[in-house]
Amino acid sequence: MNALNTTTPTEIGELATEAISDILRRATGTSNICHYADDFSLVPWASLADSGWDHIGIAEEGEEAATLRDLAAMAQAWGERLLPSPFMETVIARRHSPAAAKWDGPVTFTLPSPSLGTGTGYTPFAGFEGIGRVTELGTGSGAVVLPSGGPTDGLDLALHASTTEPVTVFSPEAARETAVVYAATAVGSASRLLRMGIDYASEREQFGAAIGSFQAVKHHLTNALLAVEQAETAVIWASLDDDDPFRPALFAIDQTISAAEIVTQVFGGIGFTWELGLHYYLRHMLFAREIVVGLEKNP
Amino acid sequence: MSDTLAIQYADDLSGDAFLEEAREWLKANVPQRWRESRGALSHAESDAIRREWDRQLGRSGYTGISFPKEYGGQGMTLRDDVIFHLIAAEAQAPDGFTRVGKTLLAPMLITQGSEEQRRKYLPALMSGEEVWCQGFSEPNAGSDLANLTTRARKVDGGYLVKGRKTWTTFAQHASRCFLLAVTDPNAARYRNMSMLLVDMSAPGVHVTDIRQISGATHFAEVQFDDVFVPEDDLVGEKNRGWHVAMKLLENERGGVESAARYVEIRADMDLLLTSCADRPELRTELTALDIRTEIVRWHLAKVLDLIESDSPRLGQAVSVLKLLWSELWQDVTRAGVTAMVPDDREHWLYQFLESKAVTIYGGSSEILRNVASERVLGLPR
Repeated sequence: MNALNTTTPTEIGELATEAISDILRRATGTSNICHYADDFSLVPWASLADSGWDHIGIAEEGEEAATLRDLAAMAQAWGERLLPSPFMETVIARRHSPAAAKWDGPVTFTLPSPSLGTGTGYTPFAGFEGIGRVTELGTGSGAVVLPSGGPTDGLDLALHASTTEPVTVFSPEAARETAVVYAATAVGSASRLLRMGIDYASEREQFGAAIGSFQAVKHHLTNALLAVEQAETAVIWASLDDDDPFRPALFAIDQTISAAEIVTQVFGGIGFTWELGLHYYLRHMLFAREIVVGLEKNP
Repeated sequence: MSDTLAIQYADDLSGDAFLEEAREWLKANVPQRWRESRGALSHAESDAIRREWDRQLGRSGYTGISFPKEYGGQGMTLRDDVIFHLIAAEAQAPDGFTRVGKTLLAPMLITQGSEEQRRKYLPALMSGEEVWCQGFSEPNAGSDLANLTTRARKVDGGYLVKGRKTWTTFAQHASRCFLLAVTDPNAARYRNMSMLLVDMSAPGVHVTDIRQISGATHFAEVQFDDVFVPEDDLVGEKNRGWHVAMKLLENERGGVESAARYVEIRADMDLLLTSCADRPELRTELTALDIRTEIVRWHLAKVLDLIESDSPRLGQAVSVLKLLWSELWQDVTRAGVTAMVPDDREHWLYQFLESKAVTIYGGSSEILRNVASERVLGLPR
């Protein structure tokens, strides 16, 4: 052992991350997120379930459960595409609830947030076919019930969260892990935005040259790189620090928001259009921020 | 438990005999005068302790930890080397004068030098006997290093070096200098210079201190007036000096130096957190700086893991390391000097003024951003 922690996921974490990246890339390709964010059938739940990765958070038949570090790596990959599917929610739910582990189908939960009154929270994918909603996480008890529907919140357009369900009871450990996972998705989103910004700056021409050849733009995107790298490092730290992962998780999300702001700027006028889709990722980061704050305050 | 905001990081060394021994050795050998009354030492005393420390490391075997054994190193990993530097800094060990030689000159001779050069120079470097300085920058060649004009004219048996180098760290203490000079004035940029190993005690070498805004004199200008350098002291191929230098500079923009910097920043942060514990108006700012400080440490751990797994993501992670700690340090020292803690006034003034240099040397922040944008992000030149 040494005075510098190991930061890499386990082998199973690497495998799962690669598999998920693959599924996401094949499903979304170069599509604009605007076009697939409402398409629940883009990757049928059955095919995700067949992969078995939704059970990776649980120790099964002599195999170890994925570590939180592993889940963070998977979530980061997930965040690059934000597929409209309750995969990460199901992974967390199964890991922290025996009832959810047994549920045949996807599972979600209801997250506390400072933006909603006490008692109610956000339920990602509440309208997803066959989804159940778990009432407790990390307590060893609780049940999976059917969501009762209701209006969808308009901040995170990829998460389709209802706003009227009672908050799930989170144990401290479940709260910490959920916060880290959402922070990790934000990191993936920031990575994706950075890539889009680089591609755009390499192609868009003004004054007879690609705008990415101008030093101001180069420095903008390098600052976005700095933010993304710090965000990733912070999530790694959060996933390995039992004591207080909320601080690095929040720091990470703030860095992702900075990266998103920079990339939006690099896209110029187009960055400001709904149809470009950059804001889907930014909205997710803002939502993740609310969630982390809500989970930290978790009673 | 005080209500400071300091984060305690995992510190488990059990099972690692080398590091346990190193800790014991450091505890027993870090000079008490240095540990307890560094501020009260004269420059001469401070210099003497630092020189002796180089020799102590040499005698004890805690030198060249990641270098091959056949060259006087310990043959261990970069991770071990970085960790040793972390714990040495935590034990408040002196920073000797051999860092430039060990982190730059030694790897250069190992990978690009001749066997004779290694045999001639490495032992005295490892033992701490010889201090090396780096003769690259010139008054007209800073960020644009390729613009250098120091000339090495071919004569019988070697070269005569004529020119002026600046920002030469430790020149006042160095017995040797590795230097870039033009050996073919007719060749194109980048193809006209060679790397030479110069004896600082040779006739024609004149060192002038450069006084910094903090009052310290870590740097110097070095004038070379027809200084003779034997043929055998040219490193690599003639006129390929630029490539020799680039390989050398790539070698160390992370690792050992970042570890040492992290510990210094951590120490400054701890001082700030303790001395400002009763200042709620500073809490938000100090928390943010505290987190960024630990990010440097975690980022260093991440870089080491990426090196060990030979990951394609390494370049990206390394490219931000110096930017991270240098800009952080300026923010920390600015917070320190503006906090106006009476007991620490002199300390923060010194640290703040000294920190102005960190975003310039070792690659200015502007150059590093340009390089990252082109080589890592692939943006068009």
